[in-house]
Amino acid sequence: MAVTTPAGGPGGSDPVYREQGSRPRAAARRDPAAVLRSPWLWALVVFAVLVAGHWAARLAWGGGPGFPTDTGERFMAWLDGIYAWIVVNRNDSPLFLYFFNYISVGLGSAVVLINRFLEFLAWPGVTVLGTVIAWRVAGWRVALLVLGTFGVFALTGLWDESMRTLALIITSVSIALLFGIPLGILAGRSDRFHRAIRPVLDFMQIMPAFAYLLPFVLLFGIGDPAAAVVTAVYAIPPAVRITALAIREVPQGAIEATTSLGSTPWQILTKVQLPSARRTILLGVNQTIMLAVSMVVIASVIGAGGLGDAIYQALSKVNVGQALQAGLAIVMLAIAMDRVTGAVGHGSRGTAGVPERYRLPLLGADLIILITTVAVCRLIGVEGWPRDLSVDISDPVNAFEDWLQTAIGPFTTALGTWTLDWVLGPLSGLLGGSPWWLVILCATALGWIFGGWRTALVSAGSFVAVGLLGVWGNAMDTLSQVLVASVITIALGVVVGVLMSRSDVFAAILRPVLDAMQTLPPFVYLIPAVALFGIGRVPALVAAVIFALPPVIRLVNDGIRGVSPASLEAATSQGSTGWQLLTKVELPLARGSLLLAVNQGLILVLSMVVMGALVGAGSLGFDVVFGLAQNELGLGLASGLAIVCLGLFLDRVTQGRKVQRA
Amino acid sequence: MRRGPLIRILAAATAAALLSSCAVRTDQVARDPGTVRMALNGWVGYEASAEVLAYILREEMDYQVQLVRVDEQPSWQAIDQGVIDVIVENWGHEDLMELYGPGGNGTVVDGGPNGNEGVIGWYVPAYVVEEYPEITTLEGLRENTDIFRTAETGDRGEFLGGAPGFVTQDQGMINAFDLDLQIVFAGSEPAQITEVRRRYADEEPVLFYFYDPQWLQEELDLVKIDLPPYEEGCDADLDSVPCDYPAYELNKIFRAGFVEENDPAYRFLDNWTWTNADQNEVARMIADEGLDPTEAAEVWVRDNPDVWRPWIPEDFEDR
Repeated sequence: MAVTTPAGGPGGSDPVYREQGSRPRAAARRDPAAVLRSPWLWALVVFAVLVAGHWAARLAWGGGPGFPTDTGERFMAWLDGIYAWIVVNRNDSPLFLYFFNYISVGLGSAVVLINRFLEFLAWPGVTVLGTVIAWRVAGWRVALLVLGTFGVFALTGLWDESMRTLALIITSVSIALLFGIPLGILAGRSDRFHRAIRPVLDFMQIMPAFAYLLPFVLLFGIGDPAAAVVTAVYAIPPAVRITALAIREVPQGAIEATTSLGSTPWQILTKVQLPSARRTILLGVNQTIMLAVSMVVIASVIGAGGLGDAIYQALSKVNVGQALQAGLAIVMLAIAMDRVTGAVGHGSRGTAGVPERYRLPLLGADLIILITTVAVCRLIGVEGWPRDLSVDISDPVNAFEDWLQTAIGPFTTALGTWTLDWVLGPLSGLLGGSPWWLVILCATALGWIFGGWRTALVSAGSFVAVGLLGVWGNAMDTLSQVLVASVITIALGVVVGVLMSRSDVFAAILRPVLDAMQTLPPFVYLIPAVALFGIGRVPALVAAVIFALPPVIRLVNDGIRGVSPASLEAATSQGSTGWQLLTKVELPLARGSLLLAVNQGLILVLSMVVMGALVGAGSLGFDVVFGLAQNELGLGLASGLAIVCLGLFLDRVTQGRKVQRA
Repeated sequence: MRRGPLIRILAAATAAALLSSCAVRTDQVARDPGTVRMALNGWVGYEASAEVLAYILREEMDYQVQLVRVDEQPSWQAIDQGVIDVIVENWGHEDLMELYGPGGNGTVVDGGPNGNEGVIGWYVPAYVVEEYPEITTLEGLRENTDIFRTAETGDRGEFLGGAPGFVTQDQGMINAFDLDLQIVFAGSEPAQITEVRRRYADEEPVLFYFYDPQWLQEELDLVKIDLPPYEEGCDADLDSVPCDYPAYELNKIFRAGFVEENDPAYRFLDNWTWTNADQNEVARMIADEGLDPTEAAEVWVRDNPDVWRPWIPEDFEDR
């Protein structure tokens, strides 16, 4: 996930909210008609209708009918048929012999070759290369960070695994950029193409990564090839979106001036648009790398080696300390890569101060150092970091976890039971036990209330699609879990975000914590969640909240800090108290950021549905995992698509009455 | 233009020849010579076997070994795709053998038993049996399903399912035995083990899918429920299975091409068999004592040369 730029979800890159309804609530309270126009009131009405309908159906028929599943079953059977065909024809059909197999063999070989190159450099060589690059492009502070990162790789005894992960990231980021940047340029220059590709990108970002692992395994084979492709697919959307945005932001005047000088479109692109869009495009590259880092861990499920695999292996032995150690290496890798590419994007170049004529000699000196290091290492036969020289932190971490479990275990278990009995259970019963048509009607109404008729159509469409996929019951259960987790996430996020905006010290302490939370693979905290809350829906909920919280906190903080000092001063001079200032001025003025925070929170919680299934959340997520593990493409993909449909609904409803983007 | 069709045919033929000469099969991916690629399924017993074999291959026979972590079913697919050479502990999967074996794609070969015997079943902790001695029988279980109620399952008893990749027929058994139980899918083995350990520490009742050989069997005192034994074909209808799981004679699965190469590495793996006790000894070192898998393998190899020496093919030195 993103470390610096929080916008990651669909529509995250350019939130433009219509001004309507964004005036301070104080004004609304004075005007009784405005209360009637408040969407929240109507949402409450819809909820009341749903509850009433639920009870009516329960009393009349003893529970609402579920959506008929015949279509869904036929769809799953059809997918299973495709699966069976591919399995039999993988090494006969021309489609595979001349297309997919080329890609998978090419990618698999690329990962192996890059890994061998890194092995050839040996650990001192890699360290020197990485540190020198970081120093040259991002200055000595970042270089120190990179050096520290290599130190963590070595000291955790995970050097080889880190190199494998690095090789995989290099391969998949290269593919993502190879396709993403040209697509982004196209989208930046052609409105029609932009309109066509946007829904595809939205779809890719909502689709849970686990759901498309199986199809890609089927097409590209288990191990590094499929891992490289899924990682690239997962990481490509920001590359396209941000490149398109960057090209569009190039001042029209500059382009017109060059056109009038008789430049060809190619010249305009290479001489004007690309150079001036360079910085923004680099930010896209940064985002792409961050997503790739987080996906590489998930890809370990389909046989990709490296750090993700180390985490996975530690967890299969229920050794949280060991998993955390590998997780730490990932966090360091992510932060280091973020700082390096971020520094390039922001234009703070390490060598900018060096006069032109010294640059070439300097580069030569770097090369000589590198070559000498590698040569010396090869001569004395150094390769991987010696494993004996590693520090094991897993024992204290495990001891801490045990202590935590005995100290607060009874309390957390009780809390979990309470949540199940009073929140999750009833809500799941309400959604799953009501007649399906009533739920669809309510979803449509919510879409209309919050986003107009277009959103209403999308909402209705996505719920009908969920039904047609044949997974209605599971989808309603998943929806109830997502809603509860989102409400908790947003409530916590707003509180912490406000606190963070109040104190610079607190913000400075919190920022690295958020960085770590965002990049730490969720695998690591799933097991402690089970230890504390017992298996089932509650630990899944906890994990989802931890995962989705950081961006929400950041967005709230950014929004409040972005409120103009003038409005604050005006309110203070009229004698507003701190609380009034917050509720009447700051929060209303930060509405855009808050809405984006809600949207991001929901989408991120949704993306944890499948992870949650690993600790007993069941429902759609479990079917995705089950489909992957038992090679049942139909069930796995249908459930994955249903998650996308839910995501589409939640995303559109919370995006609000957004101005149609060009 | 009478030459038109001829040229076209020629062109098509050339293209076809070109294409067929560079048709790519998935097993052509770059790979280091002298490397054995072993599937690593997600339970520690499997890992114990794989790590010991890998250790001997590396240290005694000078091979490179790549352990690829994948689930059971996908590892068959990986063998079919040519990216893995061997599965060292396979539980059943006759359907996959039909699909990929000599009768189907012909990419997979049954390597015969590895000496381990596998048992799958329903387990409860010993303290539950102490309190409800009759619970190890089907009737006793049926009467006492209410002790397994949890917040998650409400007024039905909770049955804690296994990881999604494992062989299961639990719902069919619950249906056929008419038990008031609801399955909670643990979703992954570590999650299931964590939950069982948590309940064990608090002496709370728990009924769950489990198996042997499994290192947790050594750490916790677990009792298997006696259910009507498996008979051929009683698991035909997965919606109603009136019998227990079969006992598995665990076997090895090889990639057909790996067998054909007849490399010493293959003959070594083909020779290998060991007992449940051997496997548990290594598995316990990995899981319980927290030893690095490679170290655990090293300890076992150091202590048991008379067991593994015979596995190494006689003509190995001639390689």
